[in-house]
Amino acid sequence: MFLSDVFELAIKALLDRKIRSALTIVGIMIGAAVIVALVASSNGLSAGVSASMSKVGANTLIVNSAMGFVTSGSGTQYRLSQNDVRILTAISGVSEAIPYYDTRASVSVGGTTLDGEVIGLDLNKLADMYKGITISDGAYPSQNDATAALIGSGIASPTGSAVQIGINQMVSVQLAASPGSGSSSTTVAFLVKGILASYGRVLFSDIDDTIFISMRSAELFFKTPYYSGFYVLTKSASDVSSVQAAIESQYGSNVRVMNAGSIASSVSSITSEMTVFLGAIGGVSLFVAAVGITNTMFVSVMERTREIGVLKALGYQSRQILSIFLAEAFVTGVVGGVLGTILGYFLSFMIGGYLPMSGGMMGPMSSNGTTTEPVFTADLILFALLFPVALAVLAGLYPARHASKMNAVVALKYE
Amino acid sequence: MNLSAPSVETFDVTKSYRIGHVDYPALRGVSLKIERGELTSIVGPSGSGKSTLLNIIGTLDRPSSGRVKIDGIDIRKLSDDQLAKIRNRKIGFIYQSFNLINRLTATENVEMPLIARKMPKSIRHDRALKLLAAVGLAEKAQKRPSELSGGEQQRVAIARALVTRPAIVIADEPTGNLDSKTTREVLDYITKVNKTMSTTFVIVTHNPEVSDSTRRIIVIRDGLIAKDQHIQRIDSFAR
Repeated sequence: MFLSDVFELAIKALLDRKIRSALTIVGIMIGAAVIVALVASSNGLSAGVSASMSKVGANTLIVNSAMGFVTSGSGTQYRLSQNDVRILTAISGVSEAIPYYDTRASVSVGGTTLDGEVIGLDLNKLADMYKGITISDGAYPSQNDATAALIGSGIASPTGSAVQIGINQMVSVQLAASPGSGSSSTTVAFLVKGILASYGRVLFSDIDDTIFISMRSAELFFKTPYYSGFYVLTKSASDVSSVQAAIESQYGSNVRVMNAGSIASSVSSITSEMTVFLGAIGGVSLFVAAVGITNTMFVSVMERTREIGVLKALGYQSRQILSIFLAEAFVTGVVGGVLGTILGYFLSFMIGGYLPMSGGMMGPMSSNGTTTEPVFTADLILFALLFPVALAVLAGLYPARHASKMNAVVALKYE
Repeated sequence: MNLSAPSVETFDVTKSYRIGHVDYPALRGVSLKIERGELTSIVGPSGSGKSTLLNIIGTLDRPSSGRVKIDGIDIRKLSDDQLAKIRNRKIGFIYQSFNLINRLTATENVEMPLIARKMPKSIRHDRALKLLAAVGLAEKAQKRPSELSGGEQQRVAIARALVTRPAIVIADEPTGNLDSKTTREVLDYITKVNKTMSTTFVIVTHNPEVSDSTRRIIVIRDGLIAKDQHIQRIDSFAR
């Protein structure tokens, strides 16, 4: 038998019972689509995470007081201050401890309000902390200019708004909480002196939605000598873990020390576990679909018992009959796999919008509608195309064998 | 085709079916020889074993003991696959209920045995069309069995049985589902092929009209040949 004849007979048989074939294919299709959509979204998630992690140098530690943001002191918590600069820099392996202020803020830009962040730090150190950050317009504000600000690209030109902020324009910022004044918020205005090029997300912050101000203005507006935290730069990347241990033994539970590298690896292990888990969900639905194939084919073999007897009488060998039925399963798998992969491709873009990371990564800080772009790897596509086919053939094997092993005399008498 | 060998030879063939612990003999020692070009009918009451004999001659079933030669080939030691090849090369089947595949056209049905032997599409298609034309169905080559009358369906089945140019055609009650007029047509066609192509026909039938139009009548009773009668006719089909 020519392979083309095997497939022609198989396809004719499938077309002869269109609804049943279509339903079986839909089962396979859903399985493949779920795998593609979930795994691609999850891949996208982990790609996004690692991209944001990679922007923080491997020699960077972040030290926060137990609560990360500048808040009204509720008494008991340890507060980081000028004194800690000395303590931290005294630790062996530390090259620099850069203090910063950080708070969530609502930024009013010409009528629209967006969620952003205000970070106060020594602006000369900005490039040390965020690798490759550049200014697209204007310049770094001078250290003594208390009202000057450097704004992220997302604040300069908010998405979905025609507003465009230029150099020397004012931005009005409502700070989430002002230290020493209870929980009430304060509104302050800054003069834009520089605009950052689009940079993206780094750990907990979306740099594009951040307003950077000098330490001097931060002290002025936050009215507190206590810092939100420190960026601790070690002399080399290999010092990071020993420095982290030293800081933790020095401060105990008063501070949280974060190591960008270890966060990255734990996040990526979480996302890869998630990928496997989501893939497994798709796999389960494929298995259900495969059982559907076995079932459908069994019914079809039963119905065609007499036809199988005729094929035997006409001189078809067992393996020729086996291959005709296997080809039916194969075609079901191929059509389901291809359609499912296409469906999954589109589905993954829809799912991207609902993933936990899509709004603001790990934190409540910013959500200006960033979505997780699904990532399609060759492996994934290949798997989504081939796995359904393999499963379908496997599912069809038993009924197909049953057909091929039928006794011709009995089959011909079958009513 | 082996020109010198008989189409079918059986030597003391027995067949018994075991139901529970009891053996039921269907054939109890049948020896016969059907020469090439013979037109033979096998008659006998229900349960006499004639269908069993037909299945064994058709290599669809194996005897419990005894030997069977088809076109000179002893089939005793052949594997199932080899038997399938024998059926494909040497035997054509015609059934009471036609046994056509309903989703395929008449031509495609006739092509089926040629597909199994890997004949290229264009060649087998031409051959199928020729056979359909020979049975008077050239116009209906693209029709499906459900669009054909009983007589037409049986003619498609005959074309399918003959398309492989078999040494022997086995027909199991070929006119059982046909009215007397179509029975006549089918019989006429069978005798014409038998004459012009020297194809051996073995026909199991209850219908005296059918057996009367053959040149040899083998009567099976209780698993044995009760009577084997050659009928001399100058022209058995002149009517």
